Amino acid sequence: MPDAGASRFRRMRDLPSSHMLGAGTAMCAGCGGLAALTEAYDVLGENTVFVNAAGCMSLMSVYPFTPFRGSWLYTAMASAPAGAQGVRDALDVLRARGRITVQEDLQVVVLTGDGAAGGMGLSATSGAIDRGLDFIYFCYDNEGYGNTGQQTSALTPHAAATATDAGNSGFPGWKKDLFALWAANKPAYAATIIGGEPLDLVRKIEKARSFSGPRMILALSPCPTGWGYDPKLSIEIAHLAVKTGIWPLKEYIDGRVSHTRMPHPRLPVEEYLKPQGRFAHLFEPRRNEAALREIQAGVDAYWAPWEAQREA
Amino acid sequence: MYRIRFHGRGGQGMKTASRILGEAFFLEGFEVQDAQRYGAERRGAPIFAYVRAAKEAIHERGVIARPGLIVVADDTLVAIAAAGVMQGLNEDCVVLIDSAESAAAWAERLNLPGPVIILPAHDTREAGEAAFVGVECAAAAACLAGVISQAYLEEAIRRELAPMGDEVVAQNLGIAADAYAKMEPYAGIVRADGTLSARAYKPPDWVDLPLEGVSLAGPAIYGGVNSELTNTGLWRTMRPVIDLERCNKCSWVCVSSCPDSAIQARADGTPEIDLDHCKGCMLCVAQCPPHAIGAVPETEALAREKAGEPVCAAN
Ligand SMILES: Cc1ncc(C[n+]2csc(CCOP(=O)(O)OP(=O)(O)O)c2C)c(N)n1
Ligand code: SF4
Repeated sequence: MPDAGASRFRRMRDLPSSHMLGAGTAMCAGCGGLAALTEAYDVLGENTVFVNAAGCMSLMSVYPFTPFRGSWLYTAMASAPAGAQGVRDALDVLRARGRITVQEDLQVVVLTGDGAAGGMGLSATSGAIDRGLDFIYFCYDNEGYGNTGQQTSALTPHAAATATDAGNSGFPGWKKDLFALWAANKPAYAATIIGGEPLDLVRKIEKARSFSGPRMILALSPCPTGWGYDPKLSIEIAHLAVKTGIWPLKEYIDGRVSHTRMPHPRLPVEEYLKPQGRFAHLFEPRRNEAALREIQAGVDAYWAPWEAQREA
Repeated sequence: MYRIRFHGRGGQGMKTASRILGEAFFLEGFEVQDAQRYGAERRGAPIFAYVRAAKEAIHERGVIARPGLIVVADDTLVAIAAAGVMQGLNEDCVVLIDSAESAAAWAERLNLPGPVIILPAHDTREAGEAAFVGVECAAAAACLAGVISQAYLEEAIRRELAPMGDEVVAQNLGIAADAYAKMEPYAGIVRADGTLSARAYKPPDWVDLPLEGVSLAGPAIYGGVNSELTNTGLWRTMRPVIDLERCNKCSWVCVSSCPDSAIQARADGTPEIDLDHCKGCMLCVAQCPPHAIGAVPETEALAREKAGEPVCAAN
């Protein structure tokens, strides 16, 4: 868990008793991406301007309705960080001319799916990092192009069945490590979160807010529609993602990556895979031992150095 | 030309219904268009799909405005204006509706000019089997059209559902045979209308709007959080009900479990569910530590409310 010392969220009961994000959005029932955004928005607050790459979340604000208390801008799928640059520049001009005060200034937040983030949006993201843009890059990772029916994206995990990898072995590739891409380029802050761990989440958003410069938040977003499970399981699946070590909760600050949760003992990955329709082919009609072993080995390899460090 | 529109909720298989029906028409030698309205597929949200079939080339495009058959897979959609279920309804149009209520009740309530048929599988189907609704609708529509043999309907189902495995296909074939047989008394009731011609098109009474500047005419929203005017509570098929006697008042659990900001806590920690916006994901039911939140089918909850009885979960 991130250091609670400076946080106003010391324990679960400090979590907000109501949410700032409005109800009535078009997101699916049980959407894990909406869960993460809802929790984050309570900390980000209304002095936030969202710049949204085309995806599920671009249906959050459909004219004439918005769930936000502040501004929201829609950009083409590849261009949200470029849009964020424009908004930041405009705010800076207003600040310089004395047209807005420090208190009235807005936090610029890119809202993007993993498809845009790991694919056509990478170039604009890279440019924003190069220019040291002062923004938060919030990616809800539902591991596919959700809005258009869950096609494979660069962040789809190995073996997941998608609309474009529908056969009985699923996606043959491996999930792109967006966190590592960011961390390698020395952002002001980067963290992974998940809606099912709200305390860890709000502390990381609090921390992200306390920095300036390029900051990244990557939220694994259980997606009942695209992953094929009953919406009421969204949080359980989030917990399993953490407990199996599939989704490491971590942060990057000052050149160092550290984990805010070390699952110990780690549950076998199949506990996470089993309840999801997209992995059903790994269990039915017969168990695909080779694939299960391969996925487990990947997770084991990720944790090996961290676990060795902890034992030492 | 046959013009058929399927209305349902995301997850009920309306796209599949249109594909199966389209495929079956095609196997019968028709020219076919089948499409889902392009938009986001949201589980629980109103969606529709449509099929055109004709013996000659089809030049019409876009959403069907004058349907010959409207299939409604979920009768709660009728009340949602935005779902557009009754759009383009005319005297010759047949309405097939999945409902526990009678055809006469619907005909009177909606003042329907044409025939109304109830999808009869309704009472035998359990809540969890919603996935079969699409296939049922396709089979019923195929029979009502009167020009699709059962053999081609079944072939279409086999082709469209093949990726889901033999077991699912077999199950759906059974459901389809059942629905097809039950519609037999109405076989052929749907009329194939002639081609529409631009010459017959009557323009609506235009209202000329003055040309405004971007600050007025642009799609900018100035009121925050007005999404709450959208009643997403209508998506719900199951209703979470809190048993306050069992509630521990650990409301941070249920408040943060709700992705839709539809639970908030009173000052004393008692949670309250906003039924105008609860989409019925049942995450709070799954997460409540003392199991104080139960799930009640929405139809039952509404019936109890109507009868002035309290709604409580038997758990
Ligand atoms: C340039 C471009 N290509 C395709 C689309 C169509 N499109 C809209 S949303 C979407 C999926 C985006 O996927 P992702 O970024 O993962 O977000 P999600 O839908 O999962 O929320 C696509 C392909 C588009 N809007 N723009
Ligand atoms: S498709 Fe998935 S990510 Fe998109 S709104 Fe639905 S549940 Fe959320």
